[in-house]
Amino acid sequence: QTKWDMPTPYAATNFHTENIVQFATDVEKATGGKLKIQVHANASLFKAPEIKRAVQGGQAQIGEILLSGYSNEDPIFGTDSVPFLATSYADSAKLWKIQRKYIEERFAKQGMVVLFSVPWPPQGIYSTKPLAAIADMKGLKMRAYNPATSRIAELAGAQPVTIQAAELAQAMATGAVNANITSGATGYDTKAWEVVKNYYDTQAWLPKNLVFANKKAFDALDKATQEAVVKAAAAAEARGWKVSEEKTSFYLAELKKNGMNVQAPTAQLKADFQKIGAQMTGEWLKTAGPDGKAIVDAFKK
Amino acid sequence: MRRALETLYDAAARAAAFFMVGVLLMVLASVIGRLVGFNLRGSDAYAGYCMAAAAFLALAHTLKRGEHIRVNLFLERFGPKVSRALELWSHAAGSVFCLVLAVYCVRLVWQSHAFNDISQGNDATPLWIPQLAMAAGAIVLAVAMIDDFVLHVRGRHTRASREAEAELKLME
Amino acid sequence: MDLAITAVLIAFLFALLASGLWIGLALLGVAWIGMELFTSRPVGDAMAVTVWGSMSSWTLTALPLFLWMGEILFRTRLSEDMFRGLAPWLTKIPGRLLHTNIIGCTIFAAVSGSSAATCATIGKMTLPELKKRGYPEEMTIGTLAGAGTLGLLIPPSIIMIVYGVTAEVSITRLFIAGVLPGLLLAALFMGYTILWSLANPGRIPEEKEHLSFGQRVYASRHLIPAVSLIALVLGSIYVGIATATEAAALGVVGALAISWLQGSMSRKVFGESLMGATRLYCMIALILAGAAFLTLAMGYIGLPRHLAEFIAGLGLTPFWLLFALMVFFIVLGCFLDGISMVVLTMGVILPTIQKAGIDLIWFGIFVVVVVEMAQITPPVGFNLFVLQGMTKKQIPWLAKVSLPLFLLMVLAVGLLYFFPGIVTWLPARM
Ligand code: NA
Ligand code: NA
Repeated sequence: QTKWDMPTPYAATNFHTENIVQFATDVEKATGGKLKIQVHANASLFKAPEIKRAVQGGQAQIGEILLSGYSNEDPIFGTDSVPFLATSYADSAKLWKIQRKYIEERFAKQGMVVLFSVPWPPQGIYSTKPLAAIADMKGLKMRAYNPATSRIAELAGAQPVTIQAAELAQAMATGAVNANITSGATGYDTKAWEVVKNYYDTQAWLPKNLVFANKKAFDALDKATQEAVVKAAAAAEARGWKVSEEKTSFYLAELKKNGMNVQAPTAQLKADFQKIGAQMTGEWLKTAGPDGKAIVDAFKK
Repeated sequence: MRRALETLYDAAARAAAFFMVGVLLMVLASVIGRLVGFNLRGSDAYAGYCMAAAAFLALAHTLKRGEHIRVNLFLERFGPKVSRALELWSHAAGSVFCLVLAVYCVRLVWQSHAFNDISQGNDATPLWIPQLAMAAGAIVLAVAMIDDFVLHVRGRHTRASREAEAELKLME
Repeated sequence: MDLAITAVLIAFLFALLASGLWIGLALLGVAWIGMELFTSRPVGDAMAVTVWGSMSSWTLTALPLFLWMGEILFRTRLSEDMFRGLAPWLTKIPGRLLHTNIIGCTIFAAVSGSSAATCATIGKMTLPELKKRGYPEEMTIGTLAGAGTLGLLIPPSIIMIVYGVTAEVSITRLFIAGVLPGLLLAALFMGYTILWSLANPGRIPEEKEHLSFGQRVYASRHLIPAVSLIALVLGSIYVGIATATEAAALGVVGALAISWLQGSMSRKVFGESLMGATRLYCMIALILAGAAFLTLAMGYIGLPRHLAEFIAGLGLTPFWLLFALMVFFIVLGCFLDGISMVVLTMGVILPTIQKAGIDLIWFGIFVVVVVEMAQITPPVGFNLFVLQGMTKKQIPWLAKVSLPLFLLMVLAVGLLYFFPGIVTWLPARM
């Protein structure tokens, strides 16, 4: 019997984690217990930023990451978080189909195998102030946790500010931060309605989580077990996409139910954001090289 | 030799103090940045790097001042012979652990470089750079521990340096 | 199997500690041995990654800064002044200035999110002063060890943030829910101090001066620097200038400014406070590094998870479930730090808690109080480590003088169980 350790970053009740636990159970069943995957949810084994290198270095055999978290390492990993490039589940699926090959190539070079990917619900804007146009964001303090979100804040005329995710709720309650870009899922998990009133469903992008394995560990499995893993991964991917999409409306309904003002962006706001998106896509293309161009060209076809 | 070692520990301690001030400045940069409207990208990450550097670079100095805590119940209770044996053992085991720590901290730097591990935050720092301070601190600690071990073997070690005891009196 | 692993690891830990090995290195050694014996995973690289991650994590940045603030205050007139201002008010209460530890920790807990920082900062100010005045050490140090843990229960609190993220409950509500239980614990500690002083009348030094009310008010002017420093730090959090972790930096700046205004700051004092803080933090950091690696080893070996699964599978009634969990956490708390305990076990325990119909906010406060106990139980208790670093007393003695306070926390858990309103009343009124 082989035992794999699987560090994942999100809480046990998160839909990504639930999907992964199901995946682990499927693998165990399909292989008759020959491969057991122990899921360590909630960053209990390795913290989120350590998971990729832990799998790469063989300290864990399989893991889950937020793919765009690695866009500092390689812009191609950040393709799904280029704002307003792929904004619906259909577009996001199309993008993943094109993008997958490039991710697999890069992971293979680093000694890892891509198994499956599941998106988060689309990203919207939480704001303490009503927003009718981008001009309303001028001077707002917006949380910026990586170069891309910093750039969005800058282009929107907002002030990018440094704040930890865990301290965000307090910071919004006290006015240290006024705006934040994240999904309805995160807003629901963190009970955003306690500290902020407005949610604009801008559908800016759908970030994806990626599940991948150490290649040496994967190759050490016998053929039948490998096939069982790949099959369970495909099933997990299909299931994850479906749950993610179904939950999107649930999350938004919950935000509304708890008294939040959940709206589609005004035509003006939308147009303003499209402009920012176009500029950022251009900037991204400059850093992402020929592969980036190939992905965007294939996607826009 | 003795002077060279002392210089090494002191230099590391000075660097640690420098990074401690760095923690303060980086956290202040986050606070003031929000107030006045500038954003030092990645100040939170830099605060973390400074903190790790401060902790690791001070390890040897803190050891030499006798301020790393241990259970010295048995060291004091059973006469000089047992005490010497235990001191030798704990310094020998300590040397091994510190060496192992140093080796793997160096390997961490090397791996971060080989894996191209880059901070996910606003700073986008290649992590091997801040990890250098951790590796340096771990190496100096290993040197200090082995130094203490050798001093014990030769019977030349004076227990917890005088300065530390002087400070203790100050507290009393 | 689990029992055998537990026994082997505990035996190793005690052997390494008793032989005089530095505590951080002993934890590191036990983790190493555990991973070599009971897992097939590569040890060294995993250790280095984890140590780096925990040493450079933002959750920790407040600790060195608060330690530094404490070092500055200790070297200035501020602590002496604080006593001059407080003493006249406490002369009539049995125990007199012993209460400064508890009151100081309760107030400082509203500023700091960590127990070690609370213990070190208040201890730096109170211990030398109380010793000078002839207060019995077992009480000054014991009450400090116990009251220092209030840093976790009275908001802001790092452990509550960790629990809130894990259990997906509102951190704001958790913070509010911690206020009354925190005050309850402080009251229990003060009640104990009063009873102890009545039982040992000869051991509390007499205060020479007896002042009229007006004189007492006038003496309170000495409190102005301390009060303004606390107001600065606390205010910065609630006005939205700084977050709970960032406020410590303002504390350092405030302490520097006050001591400069008082004329007690010089280059030398600045340098000494900086080096003192660096060493104290370094001492704690080595232990934290060892603890982080031990947590990782436990994650691989799966020991806490298996025990939690065992308890969850027993099908107990809520009362006995909570009782079993309390015993489980107390035992675990002897060896692991609080955040590790929460991270390693909650995934397994929370579904059981929800099924048993126990409110997750209430359970969060329960967990925090039990984690507070872990700060003062040997061999791995961070308040004990801080106090050993400051007083050079040995862990067994420190654990002994903290034991009454530990028992009071057990009592507090009982009170929270029978009067859950202490936890739920305030958040329900938000
Ligand atoms: Na607190
Ligand atoms: Na403990």
